[in-house]
Amino acid sequence: MERSQLLKGALDAAALAVVAERDGYGYDVVRRLRAAGLADVGDASVYGTLRRLYRAGALTSYVMPSDEGPHRRYYGITERGRAQLAEAREVWADFSRVLTNLLQTELEVTA
Amino acid sequence: MNGVSPEVVAYLAAVRAALADLPAEERDDLLTDVRASLVEAAAESGGNIAARLGPPEEFAAELRAAAGLHSSSAARPALPDLARRIAGDVELRRLAPIWWVARAYVAVAALALVLGLHWSRTYVVVPRIGTGTIGLLAIAAAAVLSIWLGLRRRSHRLAELALLVAAVPVVAHLAHRPTPPTRVVYIEAVSYAPGLSYNGAPLNNVYPYSRDGHLLHDVLLYTGAGTPIDAPPGVPDPQRRVVRTKAGKAVFNAFPVRYYEPGTHRVAHPDASPPVRIPRLATPALRSR
Repeated sequence: MERSQLLKGALDAAALAVVAERDGYGYDVVRRLRAAGLADVGDASVYGTLRRLYRAGALTSYVMPSDEGPHRRYYGITERGRAQLAEAREVWADFSRVLTNLLQTELEVTA
Repeated sequence: MNGVSPEVVAYLAAVRAALADLPAEERDDLLTDVRASLVEAAAESGGNIAARLGPPEEFAAELRAAAGLHSSSAARPALPDLARRIAGDVELRRLAPIWWVARAYVAVAALALVLGLHWSRTYVVVPRIGTGTIGLLAIAAAAVLSIWLGLRRRSHRLAELALLVAAVPVVAHLAHRPTPPTRVVYIEAVSYAPGLSYNGAPLNNVYPYSRDGHLLHDVLLYTGAGTPIDAPPGVPDPQRRVVRTKAGKAVFNAFPVRYYEPGTHRVAHPDASPPVRIPRLATPALRSR
């Protein structure tokens, strides 16, 4: 299974988690996701995800001037975003536990 | 974009083009994120962005998919989408300032129509807000404001639409308005003969009668301004019986004018007069005190 396929479904939760930790602009979020181990996350996927979460009301956004270049649009998490993140945590924990068990069993059987 | 490398500008333009069918607001917001990130990505990758991010078209497709915006190829663009795509065209975008000025005029003109203001007679496109000058100033001020808003990319789609709709009655009003009337004033070259005239016809005599029907002689007539009514003045006809003052000065406003018999100083028929019927006057005569 391709990692990118897995990531697609989890990117919302990952982006929410990163922004919940600290407000960030697009590229900053990309960098922090990569630093966390999601090396193959696509820049465009992150920007698109942030926009979509923003439109859904999970994130707020504000523009900050930057000394180095163009203004940056920062994203922060909203109450709705926190609720969504909490729900994603539960779903993921449950899902990963089930899948880990499943895959573990399969390994044991084949082993 | 200061300090932004040409690679970034080109990449950004390509991404923008690939997202041309999106609503302008949505696309601009997406590109704001992308632009800031491209600058940093370019700095980190030594300028070769495409190697780091892939072709701009793929980048745009990924961006679109992640943002949950439907693909441009997914459906045939509806008419508004098509219009937006045309409006998003770079060349047409250059014409935007014309619309900024036009919408400013439409706003002022539409307001003038709603308020039922009068319009300048000299410059028929200018509504009179008190005066035509203030109307012109209002249009200029609105244009400045509109351009300012345009440059800051502040646009409200509903307001734009309302102004477009408002343009219809404004244009209709302007179309029905006559151009300033070319006022042609005919001045008749009046060449009037000196002396008396009545309804344009020269008047060479006046016959005054008393209220009881007696023809009067040597009645002196004056205008309301006290000017003697001479008939006809100037060089006297040698046959004309001219009344003179004691000092010998000729008086030409004595009526009726009479003529001497040739070679004499005699008026043959002093009471000769045109055939008139003197109406009987019932109004009592005025008496001077």
